[in-house]
Amino acid sequence: MGLKGTDGLAAEAVARGAVPVSPRRAEIALAELSGVDALFLTAGGDMGESALRKSGQRYQVVYRPPQEPTAEDTQKASSTFIEEGVDLIVFCGGDGTARDVSEVAGLQAPIIGIPAGVKMQSGVFAVSPKAAGELVRGYLEEGLLIRETEIVDVDEEKYRAGTLDTKIYGIAATPYKPALVQERKQIYSSRNEEEFKEEIAVFASEFMRDGSAYILGAGTTTAKIAELLGAEKTLLGVDVIQNGRTICRDASERDLLRVIDDEGRAKIIVSPIGAQGFVLGRGSQQISPEVLRRAGPENLIIVATPHKLKETPHLLVDTGDQKLDETISGRRQVICGYRIAQLKDVEASSRVGMDQSGSF
Amino acid sequence: MRTKILLDEEEMPKRWYNVAADLLTPLDPPLHPQTGEPLKPEDLEMIFPKGLIRQEMSMERWIEIPDEVRDILRLWRPTPLFRAHRLEEHLKTPAKIYYKYEGVSPAGSHKPNTAVPQAYYNMKEGIERIATETGAGQWGSALSMATSFFELECRVYMVRASFDQKPYRKSIMQVWGAECVASPSELTNAGRMILKEHPDTGGSLGIAISEAVEDAATHDNTNYALGSVLNHVLLHQTVEGQELKAQLAIVDDYPDVIYGCVGGGSNFPGMVFPFVPDKLKENKEIRMVACEPSACPTLTKGLFTYDFGDTARLTPLLKMYTLGHDFIPPSIHAGGLRYHGDAPLLCNLVHDRVIEAMSFHQNEVFKAAVTFARTEGILPAPEASHALKPAIDDAIACKKTGEEKTIVISLSGHGHFDLSSYDAYFAGNLVDYEYPEELVKQSLAKVPKF
Repeated sequence: MGLKGTDGLAAEAVARGAVPVSPRRAEIALAELSGVDALFLTAGGDMGESALRKSGQRYQVVYRPPQEPTAEDTQKASSTFIEEGVDLIVFCGGDGTARDVSEVAGLQAPIIGIPAGVKMQSGVFAVSPKAAGELVRGYLEEGLLIRETEIVDVDEEKYRAGTLDTKIYGIAATPYKPALVQERKQIYSSRNEEEFKEEIAVFASEFMRDGSAYILGAGTTTAKIAELLGAEKTLLGVDVIQNGRTICRDASERDLLRVIDDEGRAKIIVSPIGAQGFVLGRGSQQISPEVLRRAGPENLIIVATPHKLKETPHLLVDTGDQKLDETISGRRQVICGYRIAQLKDVEASSRVGMDQSGSF
Repeated sequence: MRTKILLDEEEMPKRWYNVAADLLTPLDPPLHPQTGEPLKPEDLEMIFPKGLIRQEMSMERWIEIPDEVRDILRLWRPTPLFRAHRLEEHLKTPAKIYYKYEGVSPAGSHKPNTAVPQAYYNMKEGIERIATETGAGQWGSALSMATSFFELECRVYMVRASFDQKPYRKSIMQVWGAECVASPSELTNAGRMILKEHPDTGGSLGIAISEAVEDAATHDNTNYALGSVLNHVLLHQTVEGQELKAQLAIVDDYPDVIYGCVGGGSNFPGMVFPFVPDKLKENKEIRMVACEPSACPTLTKGLFTYDFGDTARLTPLLKMYTLGHDFIPPSIHAGGLRYHGDAPLLCNLVHDRVIEAMSFHQNEVFKAAVTFARTEGILPAPEASHALKPAIDDAIACKKTGEEKTIVISLSGHGHFDLSSYDAYFAGNLVDYEYPEELVKQSLAKVPKF
């Protein structure tokens, strides 16, 4: 078995600045911050203090972890940072750490992850430690834009039962610098991701007037659609909306099958989840092969911002039913703006060797 | 083997051909944006000279080209017709491929063919200043040159996405004495309103038209000029097709198919309209294919209905294929083809199935452009390259059938200002956009009709 991230090992946070745990990577990020006018609040020892001391930054230890810190210490430190009213939390780790931090921070403070784990599918991670440092500096000095993004991690229950699955654990706010994460400026100008989510939502709100029941998967883009319609939506769950009203909240697979039977048909809107771009089979398990078959694969509508599409060269499906995966895969339209779609390759993850169950 | 088929200056057309006289279905009249009533000539007088309004509404088949205009067109016309021997060899096709190259004009495209007469008629009627818009910058450059010839002032609202992509377009307009501003701008109400809602927008042709029309309507002695869509623009471009016919006659050939790119419609109609009577009256078997981007597929996926020509609903309502005046097409690199509607004359002929339409993605278009540049040498504009893609496909298909088909490409301009787009193509940064037709139809079904 490989490593399962750095969960339980570390988590750091910082106020008006950053703190590392995986020392080398944290140091790289901090090196980008020399001369930044900020006070770093941190946890003691390896949870940030040591790296900050080396970097020469102004800092204050506000939490003292025991000798061998655990996930609980990550949460306690994060909660102290929030109480202190920090402007930004920076941590070093993987998806597990991201979960611990975001569970406490919620949307109260933006989060930046310095990538140092085994799995880093959550949207709070910068592409490299250096980029994390640049993001922190950009946020402090230029006031970068903030976007909401999903915190994803391995579904532990299922993992224990022998199945690898990714689940959305929360939504976090994170700064982003368009030039670091998106297309060339000349193509997208500097339009921010939220604007595209709005555009997608406006378009969806138009075509959703056809009276069909719409099954909305998890994620911030689908949440934006519900928000624009004024319909209730669980951020992490699957909901059904019809004629602008939520007719089934946090639906289970059985609920979805019932809706399809009652209505005679349904359409499904999903958005790629996580850094690998899974549109099905990760995050919204309720949309099962049976649900997809009964709704009809032709009624699957994929939505994603251009920013997200840029990060994911192809979209992946892994419903657990290979035949169905093959039916869904191919060149598909992905709605990425108001009456605008991109053509993207959707592939069955088993075919592109992206199913990582073997790596655990 | 002849490569260039050239005409003498004196063989340059002396008349423009007006296809309105030969349509199967009469053109639906443009409607007043406020009253919805058919437009009267005087409605247009606020922004156009009478000479052009007469042409806009004319049913005369032939209209004389003034000598002053011909004298200027002589600077680059007649344009050459090339036989693409090297491309044919590369493709190993039995097809005969010709391309009529409009990139030899000083502005680098076909646009001066109408810019010059438009500036001329405005000058004749004492107008001192012209406001216009430009997508890729071709039209803005052409009008800047034309207005400098007739000593008129000129302001060009350039779609911001293109303005940023091609900074040298602004430079060349400045050389010709015009002022080029990025649209939406702070100079007009229409621009300010858009900026308030979308401060970072890349703009669109529809928005830029709104700005230019407003500018013309609110400035003294200022008129508006449009580089595509309107009847008189298409009329002026028919010098192309007339020359093409004469050139092919020299080598005793006639097109089986003509491909040309379409944004709002000017170069392609200009090239093919003179062939329309051949098809309708002499039953010639000729295909005329309008080539558009899949990201903005007006003729292939739009609705045939009355719509505004601009975003702010200032222009008359035109009966055309449209994706909706509020549609802002994605920022593809063929900036000149990003228009939600199309010329009513062209739409009429597409609707009556005299002319066909096809759409293509930008990556395949650039691939064809590179093949062309590496065989024929000319670096084509991304817009023009939309016609290369199906022409090359067609020629390859002829390999299988053995058909010695005569394929004509309307190559509307060079791509010397589009090199950053070529860079993006080679870097793998071009996104293939598509118009979600089914979902849009579903949306429109329930949207209250205008």
